[in-house]
Amino acid sequence: MGFLRHVFRWLSLALIALAGAWLLWPARDGEAASARRDGRDAANRAEARHVITLSPGSAYLPGAVPFGVGQPLVGLAAVIRDFEKRFPDTRVEIINVPGVREYIVTQLSSGRAPDIINVNVEDVWTDVQKGWYVPLDAYLEAPNPFIREKGDPTAPGYHQWWDMFKYQAISRGKAAPDGRNYCISFDMVETAIFYNKDIFAKVGVSVPTTWEQWLDDMAKLEAAGYTPLLMSIYAFNDWCVDLIFDQLYYAVLPGIDLLQDPTREKYLEGYLDWDELCFLYRQGFFTPRDPRYAELWRHMRALRKYCNRNLANIDTDREFVTQQGAMYWTACPLTYRLMADKELGFEWGVFYLPRFTTATSEFASETEMCVIGGAGMQYEVTNSAYNDTGDPATSEKLERVIALLQFMTVPEHYERIVNEYPCFLPNVVGVPVLPSLEPFEAILERRYTTTKWIFTFDLRFSEIQQRMLELYLNDGIALDAFLEWQEANLEAATQNLLARKNVDMARLEREWDRRAPLRADTRGLPYD
Amino acid sequence: MTRPRPALIGHRARFTLSCYGLLLVPLALLTLFVYVPVMWAFTKSLFQFEVGGASRFIGLDNYVEFITRDPTTIPSFLNMLFLTLFAVCTRLSIPLILAKLIHALASERARYFYRVLFLIPVLVPGVAVQLIWAGMIYRDRGMLNEALRAVGLDTLVTGWLSDPSTALVAVAFVGFPFVGGFEVLIYYAGLSSIPQSVTEAAAIEGCVGLQKFFRIDIPMVLSQLKLILILTIIGGVQGFQGIFIMTRGGPGFKTTVPGLWMYFNAFSFQRMGYACAIGVCLFAVIFGLTILNMRYFKSTEELVGRR
Repeated sequence: MGFLRHVFRWLSLALIALAGAWLLWPARDGEAASARRDGRDAANRAEARHVITLSPGSAYLPGAVPFGVGQPLVGLAAVIRDFEKRFPDTRVEIINVPGVREYIVTQLSSGRAPDIINVNVEDVWTDVQKGWYVPLDAYLEAPNPFIREKGDPTAPGYHQWWDMFKYQAISRGKAAPDGRNYCISFDMVETAIFYNKDIFAKVGVSVPTTWEQWLDDMAKLEAAGYTPLLMSIYAFNDWCVDLIFDQLYYAVLPGIDLLQDPTREKYLEGYLDWDELCFLYRQGFFTPRDPRYAELWRHMRALRKYCNRNLANIDTDREFVTQQGAMYWTACPLTYRLMADKELGFEWGVFYLPRFTTATSEFASETEMCVIGGAGMQYEVTNSAYNDTGDPATSEKLERVIALLQFMTVPEHYERIVNEYPCFLPNVVGVPVLPSLEPFEAILERRYTTTKWIFTFDLRFSEIQQRMLELYLNDGIALDAFLEWQEANLEAATQNLLARKNVDMARLEREWDRRAPLRADTRGLPYD
Repeated sequence: MTRPRPALIGHRARFTLSCYGLLLVPLALLTLFVYVPVMWAFTKSLFQFEVGGASRFIGLDNYVEFITRDPTTIPSFLNMLFLTLFAVCTRLSIPLILAKLIHALASERARYFYRVLFLIPVLVPGVAVQLIWAGMIYRDRGMLNEALRAVGLDTLVTGWLSDPSTALVAVAFVGFPFVGGFEVLIYYAGLSSIPQSVTEAAAIEGCVGLQKFFRIDIPMVLSQLKLILILTIIGGVQGFQGIFIMTRGGPGFKTTVPGLWMYFNAFSFQRMGYACAIGVCLFAVIFGLTILNMRYFKSTEELVGRR
């Protein structure tokens, strides 16, 4: 018995030691495995002259299974393999960077960010003065060498890379307020209301054409025991604020849209930039004295009544596919989730939000709802891309990083990436839209929003707005108190912005005076 | 016969010198990795310092803003106070009662079994626990709401983490029924170390049951209670990850704590100097509470020593 115990003890120790050794053994990383697949050995790859790190975003991440349904993605990996064959001295590493701004900021500030990252470019605008990003205008205005080498002067991209992009106005409209473009608008995304046709038929409601009809429909759906509309607090704080803002302010834009930038105006017609918002705020707009602004939030609370109880921390996809919610306001990638689900037990469709009428609000512009989507994956080149020389003007690596982006936008390569599954709309001329995404393409033809509140000011502003909005929408604070918070928040954000940027307030003042006649007959202005 | 040559330095002195020498290494590392960053944070708290941007000396402005002008300061400290007090109450009481119950079991095998059973949940990462509570229990159609619906209490159904009136309590209740395995073990060790003679003397004097628990057991585990108290206070003041996962401090600032606001300022708003000032304030709070605890909460040994 004693001997057996002795043996057992030593065996246990040996097992633990083996398990520890196995855990500590260096893992064979993806690149080595990839090298074996390609018939190249890892040592040769390690000698690559340029190592480009690319964070493509979860939509195209090789090996990822979108929504956990279907096959792992392979499109981008295949294109990268072709690129590496074309440039044997270059290796491309795919990095899955979490979409957490805190993480990216720390990486950027230490010069360790991936060479190409995917961030909403409005977030980039706030940091362009720090030298974290490379302006891409010079490259966009030059030919795409991979198109040029084909020798067809009529092909988009032969003269300028810019010409390859299908949604010109949106892509060029992504230029920062300093006039420079820091991102490649790789593809397009659009939102819509996904709805359960079976529930609609059962309850006897139809696709609404006005905001009132929509609210009536939701009341019926709620009475029937469904959650009428699934929405997260992020959708409220981002899309909903901007759409309702546009409905209420569009009619007065001629009198308050003070600056027009010819390079951006084609898409951003009437867009209120941060300097304009700062100036208008100083004129009393967006304060408790502005009746349109107060009404904006009231309409949101009226809508919130019909939404899921928990606005944060809720799996809205799941609520929709399990038919607990009748409608779901989200972006086009959900299309794939619904199409790929073999067990989805209902018919679904999409429609866009209906417009306000004068029955909704005396300030309703009676115009159709504008677009809230636009560029989906927005690829920026970071300061890490020229860490070989430290100078973008002399960096060979930067040239190669740009070449990778140019290579990815060649139509035959691009299609393999973007049309691998229905997720985003292609933004390269000559690449077809997948049929299931055509409704979103139609929505994207609409006019763009008047402003994007949470991307205009600093992140502190956005965070506080979201928190207080959630509190207000959940009846935790009255409208007056919410507006006071917003005013204080906007005051701090305005001061911060004016301190950081050179805003020509005198010019805005002159434009304001010049446009006084256009405001003469407008009701409900804050200084009335 | 030769007498051994007297050593230049005695054995005792050599040993002491060796101890000092060996302590120098961890001390140097501690200085490098803890004290220097702390001093750096304190220095930076006097600057307007944005990540990746220039920094400008502003004296105590960050402190003045945090203490007098930041609208989140008072609510976040009140939230922190509530959560810390709640944690102190639950972690000082329930695990102690459980430890006492286990200790009172006659069978050693049963005691061992229960100790293991209560310790197993400690192996589940805190993040997983918080995600379970947020995703399964507090959801719109989660266990709590479905249970309320099942018993006909539909009127009580709510978005527990979204509702401003329930969010903070909902956060506090994560971990219910608060049977902390770690605390149970600590208290159990304390109860096991009570000398047999004390227990027997108490029995002879007729001190049994609840009377023994309050008059003998609790005074004898004061050292353990003090340890748990300090750890709970430090955790309560510093901790924010659970709140970050479940509510991000919302709705509004209903569940925000200063640590979370510090995090947002540092890494989201890039106001690193301001975040450092919040950190220094939190350090001061923890330091003050620990001093008070050390001064006024006497352990068993200190009480015995005083007598």
